[in-house]
Amino acid sequence: MKFLILSLLVVTVARAAEPVEVLVQGAENLEVREIVAALEQPVKSSIGPFTFWTGRIGGHRIAVQLTGQALLNCTTSTILGIEEFSPKLIVNQGTSGAQAPYLTLHDIIVGRRALDYSGLITPVRAAGQGTYPLRWTPVAQSLRDLVSGQLVVFPEGFSGDPAAMAVALRTRNPMGRVFAGVIGSAHEVNLELDRVRWSHATFGMDVEEMESGHVAAIAHAYGIRYIAFRVVSDAPYDGVPFYALAARATGLFTVSFLQNLPPL
Amino acid sequence: MRGPSVPSLLGFFIAALLVCPAAPLGAASVAPVDVLLAAPSDTELRPLLDKLKNGHSEERASWKFWLGTLAGKSVVLTRTEGDPLNAVAATTLAIRRYAPKLVVTFGPSRAHDPALRPGDLLVSGSFVAFDGMVSPVNALGGGSDSLRWQKLPHLLATSGEKETAVFSFPVDGKALAIAIKLPAPRGRTIPGVLGSAAQLNREADRVAWIHQEWGTSSEDGESAHIAGCAQLLGVPVIGLRVIDGAEGEAGAVALNFMEAWK
Repeated sequence: MKFLILSLLVVTVARAAEPVEVLVQGAENLEVREIVAALEQPVKSSIGPFTFWTGRIGGHRIAVQLTGQALLNCTTSTILGIEEFSPKLIVNQGTSGAQAPYLTLHDIIVGRRALDYSGLITPVRAAGQGTYPLRWTPVAQSLRDLVSGQLVVFPEGFSGDPAAMAVALRTRNPMGRVFAGVIGSAHEVNLELDRVRWSHATFGMDVEEMESGHVAAIAHAYGIRYIAFRVVSDAPYDGVPFYALAARATGLFTVSFLQNLPPL
Repeated sequence: MRGPSVPSLLGFFIAALLVCPAAPLGAASVAPVDVLLAAPSDTELRPLLDKLKNGHSEERASWKFWLGTLAGKSVVLTRTEGDPLNAVAATTLAIRRYAPKLVVTFGPSRAHDPALRPGDLLVSGSFVAFDGMVSPVNALGGGSDSLRWQKLPHLLATSGEKETAVFSFPVDGKALAIAIKLPAPRGRTIPGVLGSAAQLNREADRVAWIHQEWGTSSEDGESAHIAGCAQLLGVPVIGLRVIDGAEGEAGAVALNFMEAWK
């Protein structure tokens, strides 16, 4: 019933809205459901195809954003969310695939850093010589520093906000463990264990998903604090297939994080 | 998000109750422009910047916009850095701030279709962002073989908390009809499928696989992602790509397009 009421409160946005302290993102309905349910005095709005819910959690003014999956959706929607709500902190959270054997279903990685691992240059090989992904050369995300005019490369990706990390690492995961780690993003689902191991060795990735590294780059470009939380929803080393409802763990974790977060 | 989408009851519930109109993108900071022209680097932008009248520039975060008139039309130019993230970010900002009627992505590209030759002008019949993949389950020691990967569609965000799975993005028919009549720098003018990813593919077997599976005519770092962003935000788009384009060639094509576009 609560969602019915929310759906009837749709407003269209004609100009930048009242700023929020935290922009909280999820790519899928299941990834924002627990957070939207925790909002006090929620108001629903939309910009283009993207839906937002504003309200309060833990005394903070929050905008929860449904970003859609992968670079195309999350980059577009993050730019619109920043321009609309001028957040001080962005929290990107959702599901992920384990890239290291120590992780299992419902564990949460707090992003020490997040990076885009999709960029690549292949060697030159003639027809009939095949393809060898483990020999491709990674190409890291770059951003222009408009002050110097230089294009700056970020091979390590983008660091999580230290203060937000400290709060997150003191927050309880109701369904599993919590680790600081590295989150890799690409429009990919890698289930070849040799490539999973290569990604872990090459980039230090603990989990792979489709948004965190891209949103981290946008946040860096704007100079906005950023943190990502990713729950393990599948673990290829253990043969655990994708379990969409794992999103509930990171949603509940994010609500607790927001309740623990000091004033920004 | 991880992996294929699982439709939620919430999404269907709201969708069933409510038909959401596309919401506006927010206030433009200046009067709307006719055309957004997006190119990967200063090299491609230079011929247009040299002809820009009443020009000035604006900046936001890591992205820069040059405004003015070209061939009597109001335009905004932006540099996309030749990768999907910067291209989508710059395109989104430009659409929100300047509300263009048309997006033009132009620059060089590399052939996937063996029939293409250096200097050919490839005009977008459609766009594909070919970076989506799912690999098969394979145990340690089993290797990695990109020719066995499966395509992963883009799940475009759709009003009402829904998603629309697509493998390609459409092109504006009116702009295509104009562009297909433009002269090519050194070769032919041909309609094709502009592919993009943050990839430089030089393995002939992989290039052939992408060409066969995704239908790409060429690859570059941004064009289809710009088209996907334009589709998300409801703006028509056209792509102009010169195969192995030399300095200034794609810019000259874009200028010709602006002369012809009404």
